[in-house]
Amino acid sequence: MTEVVILEKKVLNENQRLAAELRERFARAGTLVVNLISSPGSGKTRLLERTLESLPAGVRAAVLTGDIQTDADATRLARFGFPVRQITTGGTCHLDAKMIDWHLEGWDLDALDILFIENVGNLVCPSSYDLGEEAKIVLLSVTEGEEKPLKYPSIFFKSKLILLTKIDLLPYVPFDYALACANARSVNAEADILGVSCQTDTGLREWMEWLGAKLPATELQPR
Amino acid sequence: MIDAVRAQVAKNPGKRATAVGVRIGALAGVDGESLQFGFDAIVRDSDVEPLRLVIEHAEADELDLAWIEVEDL
Repeated sequence: MTEVVILEKKVLNENQRLAAELRERFARAGTLVVNLISSPGSGKTRLLERTLESLPAGVRAAVLTGDIQTDADATRLARFGFPVRQITTGGTCHLDAKMIDWHLEGWDLDALDILFIENVGNLVCPSSYDLGEEAKIVLLSVTEGEEKPLKYPSIFFKSKLILLTKIDLLPYVPFDYALACANARSVNAEADILGVSCQTDTGLREWMEWLGAKLPATELQPR
Repeated sequence: MIDAVRAQVAKNPGKRATAVGVRIGALAGVDGESLQFGFDAIVRDSDVEPLRLVIEHAEADELDLAWIEVEDL
């Protein structure tokens, strides 16, 4: 005899359970957690470098940075004096809640105002994994093409902020900025959209203000 | 998913799973063909073979293990 057993369970149930626990820990500690996601080379690490060096004195930040191989990004980011840990996934194309949980070991969340998570460079899988963050932030560089929000709608749909990066290159690349924004809006009408350049510092003030708005007690302005 | 199937079978002695239904939304970030490929690779020569994957399309970012079909051994 054949029968169908109804389950109605989330496929990523275990990750979501752990992410909910992390979110509760972050909230209790008052730690803002943001999860930066993009394809490789969009400028996540460079944005973090500029952000860390711009943080006002007294802001307590830390970074978890994910890569399939190497600790190159952690080495770059550690120069700014904040705690940084590399999560080397060894082939896995995304971070999950368990990896975050493991790599928080020994860190006092009460002593952190903000935790930056730099995900593995990938626009697909990281969108499926809740890490307990307050916000996913997707970066799209102007060298990638304005159709990316339509091709990879999941991550644009789930992000609270869409950062269009490397906008200093706009005069040199066939990138339609307005069309990119319209494409992003068609997937996610609620997300904020900012253009930034870490070469010219264009948009960095707005980026810091966006972060600062989520840290009410702290005024973040680029130095 | 396979672990969920095994758990379900363990709860139903004398039965085996024949199919598993998954609902995937267009915004779930999961490619059905890739999932099918990985599923077939894992099932082949395993304790749950033969097991069919049935992908149902769903709304937004839904990604649910919907049902498991079991039959008497």
